Amino acid sequence: MRLRHCLGLALAAAASTPFAALAADTIKIGFPMPLSGPTAVYGEPILKGAQMAVDEINAKGGVLGRKLELIARDSKANADEAVRLARELIIKDSVDFLAGTLTSAEAPAVSTIARENKIVFVAPTAKTMKLTASENLHPYIFRVASNTMIEGRTSASIVAKWTDVKRVATIAPDYAYGRDAVAAFVDYLKKLRPDIQIVDQQWPKLGEPDFTPFITAQMSQKPDAVMCDVFGGDFVSLAKQAAPLGYFKAINYKLIDGGEVGTVDEAQALGGDYPYGIWSDSYDPVVWAGSNEPADHKAYEDHLKAFMKSDYGSGWAIVGYQSIQALAAGIAKAGSTDSDKVSAALKGLTFDTPVGKRTFNPNTQETEAGEYWAQIIKDATHPFAVMKEPTYMDPQPLLN
Amino acid sequence: MNISSLFSQFMGGLTAAMFLFLIASGLSLIFGVLRVLNFAHGSFYMLGAYIAWQVVHWAQPSGAAFWLAALGAALGVAILGGVIERLLFRFLYGREELYQLLFTYALVLILGDAAKIIWGTDQLSVSRPAILNGGFEVLGTTVPYYNLFIILIGPAIALGVWLMLTRTSLGRMVRAAALDREMLDALGANVGWLYTGMFMLSAALAGLAGALVTPIQSIVPGMDVEIIVQAFIVVVIGGLGSFWGTFWGSMLYGQVLSFGILIFPGFSLFSVFALMTVILIVRPWGLFGKPIR
Repeated sequence: MRLRHCLGLALAAAASTPFAALAADTIKIGFPMPLSGPTAVYGEPILKGAQMAVDEINAKGGVLGRKLELIARDSKANADEAVRLARELIIKDSVDFLAGTLTSAEAPAVSTIARENKIVFVAPTAKTMKLTASENLHPYIFRVASNTMIEGRTSASIVAKWTDVKRVATIAPDYAYGRDAVAAFVDYLKKLRPDIQIVDQQWPKLGEPDFTPFITAQMSQKPDAVMCDVFGGDFVSLAKQAAPLGYFKAINYKLIDGGEVGTVDEAQALGGDYPYGIWSDSYDPVVWAGSNEPADHKAYEDHLKAFMKSDYGSGWAIVGYQSIQALAAGIAKAGSTDSDKVSAALKGLTFDTPVGKRTFNPNTQETEAGEYWAQIIKDATHPFAVMKEPTYMDPQPLLN
Repeated sequence: MNISSLFSQFMGGLTAAMFLFLIASGLSLIFGVLRVLNFAHGSFYMLGAYIAWQVVHWAQPSGAAFWLAALGAALGVAILGGVIERLLFRFLYGREELYQLLFTYALVLILGDAAKIIWGTDQLSVSRPAILNGGFEVLGTTVPYYNLFIILIGPAIALGVWLMLTRTSLGRMVRAAALDREMLDALGANVGWLYTGMFMLSAALAGLAGALVTPIQSIVPGMDVEIIVQAFIVVVIGGLGSFWGTFWGSMLYGQVLSFGILIFPGFSLFSVFALMTVILIVRPWGLFGKPIR
């Protein structure tokens, strides 16, 4: 029996050389990510970014002399599915680490699996405060994404500078992310500008196709600025329905959206229908209509465009890319793939990314990343809206 | 709460209602005649949107691109519907609802993946046709021309289908088929092709709705499932298989949704589901349906 088993293994190895030798000692990273359904618009480019980082690191000889191997699975943006996949990746594929998940529903769920199995898990996009709140924090969870507190407070600090604004309304998707970000925004804005009144709050569901009734209800309260957290395909729908109703004009384009609608992905989808003049953010503006492009960004972007076979790449790839960079830096510093050692190494670690250095706060285990914020304008050199002088808003002064 | 804001809320509800009617009417027609609950109806709607985007993409910058796209989407989806009916659907007639639901759900997954393979996962969008850009002022509210166009096209299609069903010999056959398929067959009518025709009409309505929605909504994977749930609610409220029931069901749904948002802004989904619950308790067969004995 044993002999036959060995023979079988030998045959399998022979059949798959030269990869067999390589596969045996790769460092495996499990990557559950929505690759189907409405959220695949984010999942696909984030996976591409992660894969590109893996390829780049492997081309330079890998980490600790071992190659990285990314094992992607479709989480369908469903927390139960993400948990099932995370378990399967650990048990069947014996992954060394987990990275990925998209939504604020998936990431906290997978985090509990990482805790159970004592495996480091790096979350690229989930912004909910719950993920690293003290009662949920454990040594194996690390967040590369920004969070809802940073997003809400940054929005508030920008709106606070609009001196003639007195009546602010909010509209955000009705789940953890939208609710948390709006709460952080309202709270901080009241501190900065006690004279401002919150006149209306709308909560369309995630994936809402028809925003018209929300928009007309909001307009009837006559706000003079809006904090909007609707993002992705939902923002495309909102913008196209709101513009002919005169919504943006009525608030003089004083709308701020912390849901990364400044990305090139969003701008391309909306084309000429983009409500030029609003404010938004992006992890990576991709197109830099200004002079402050970080030195490493151009090379990264050129590589990404070739890798994605796309003219403009994506503003989302960067978070996948950064997650792998973080893990690789942690493994290198630890000199081991043991999760306890890597976890210790990641706490307080500073690593390079194409948009500047990031550091994991040893207490919260997140990078407390800010984002690039700007007014979104029409630009003659591109067939879509771009961010005007994207500025990295450092969250540190806002977090006290 | 002034007249202007009530009116704009009403118009918003009316637009939503007419969109829903375009989609739900096909669903209701198929259930009324073929007695099949077609869960894949939302997929036809989604394919209509993708085909419209594709045609606009090819035909740009022609001013007629959008109208070509609407026509192309209705025709394209009708043909696809015809093929699916001839090759697959016909084996479902008379089966238990559970099998129909499972089968049509499988179609949802297959068509959804097919769309993903062809058009990818990016959010796509189509610009409004130039002639329907902008809007006009009524009672201090801006009504976009495009919304007005949708508000007019809904009743036009309702009237057209109703005239077809009640005033033509084809309509008589359709109604006869709904009542007693075997008897109609025995009388020498070609019920097989009649069913195919009805299925194609229903698919064309879904495809057209998909095309008409592209200027105001993003085209994303998952829009199929999103819409089918709403369409089912409308059909249930109106009464399964009742054509006018679907029309008034859509109207009620649109207004309850719209004013619900104005009155309870924190619970946007609450009002329509409350409406459905009340109707299912008080009149389980829907507003215009007939109780099943």
